[in-house]
Amino acid sequence: MAYQQGAMPDQSFLWDVFQRVDKDRSGQISADELQMALSNGTWSAFNPETVRLMIGMFDRENRGTVSFQDFEALWKYVTDWQNCFRSFDRDNSGNIDKQELNTALSTFGYRLSDQLVGVLIRKFDRFGQGTILFDDFIQCCIALYTLTAAFRQHDTDMDGVITIQYEQFLSMVFSLKI
Amino acid sequence: MSYGGSFNPYAQPGGGYSPPPGAFPPQNAQMNQQAQQWFAMVDRDRSGKINAAELKAALVNGRGQQFSDNACKLMISMFDNDASGTIDMFEFEKLYNYINQWLQVFKTYDQDGSGHIEESELTQAFTQMGFRFTPEFINFLVKKSDPQTQKEISVDQFIVLCVQIQRFTEAFRQRDTQQNGTITIAFEDFLSVAIGCSY
Repeated sequence: MAYQQGAMPDQSFLWDVFQRVDKDRSGQISADELQMALSNGTWSAFNPETVRLMIGMFDRENRGTVSFQDFEALWKYVTDWQNCFRSFDRDNSGNIDKQELNTALSTFGYRLSDQLVGVLIRKFDRFGQGTILFDDFIQCCIALYTLTAAFRQHDTDMDGVITIQYEQFLSMVFSLKI
Repeated sequence: MSYGGSFNPYAQPGGGYSPPPGAFPPQNAQMNQQAQQWFAMVDRDRSGKINAAELKAALVNGRGQQFSDNACKLMISMFDNDASGTIDMFEFEKLYNYINQWLQVFKTYDQDGSGHIEESELTQAFTQMGFRFTPEFINFLVKKSDPQTQKEISVDQFIVLCVQIQRFTEAFRQRDTQQNGTITIAFEDFLSVAIGCSY
């Protein structure tokens, strides 16, 4: 494994990476720059949705870009995901198949039917291979997390069933993105 | 607007759900010439098929930006009968009509001709489509669609929004057996609707 789990690279290393990613030398990393810098293990472009989401999470000034200060947190986030992804990619294929996704999700505490795991694979598999790449895996996990959080808010008695009204339902399913 | 006990939030006088105009484009026997020309332009690699990326490169919204990835993926998937991620010339013609109908709808509601729809215009659009939403919910949708300025919706976002609302409403209605605007739903069913019905 290339990265030691939990170890933070030093500042000069990060600054070096930041400058290489910041192609136009603006002192800020844009979504396009970040997308070019990230790799999902294939030659295909990194999922733009994942890039947008990550910029949104770490862009404290709400400018749609990431400064060096924010970059440190972003870097840690990406490497954490990478470690997580690799630990579930048992056969080191660079992608996660249905079986591996099932294992990953039960490690996260989800108990989902085979059918739903199949729905997830179909939804987040951008290339129709029946497997999920690194960037799409992040997307999938964040989507699940967001929806679970929305559901839990209503499931006060924790029985896994909720009763909701029409607009509440729409707000919940729209919590993902439009 | 509030939910009353017997208030059916998606009822409309005289008729239940009317799909937005153009949701089910009519089948034309003859291939429209304009659509044919357009197809040739959009199909950059001359594969005889159009994918979401080619469609995206060909469509521009009122802000002069390309349509979003989501909008293009959604529209391709609606007409892609063999789930190949691409559409052929005949599927394209249907999509072409579909987009044109949406553009017409959009223009009707974009009363000031700004190229995007503001909150009040969106409210009117939903009302005429038979949806009755609270101002808070419409405000939520606008913010969600347009995180940057939080006040206007472009045509591609409008299409995605309307198609999504339609799909989710249908899923809700199927579960609302009492027709009282309330459903009881289990976690896994909720996930499969939220993920399965989005594009």
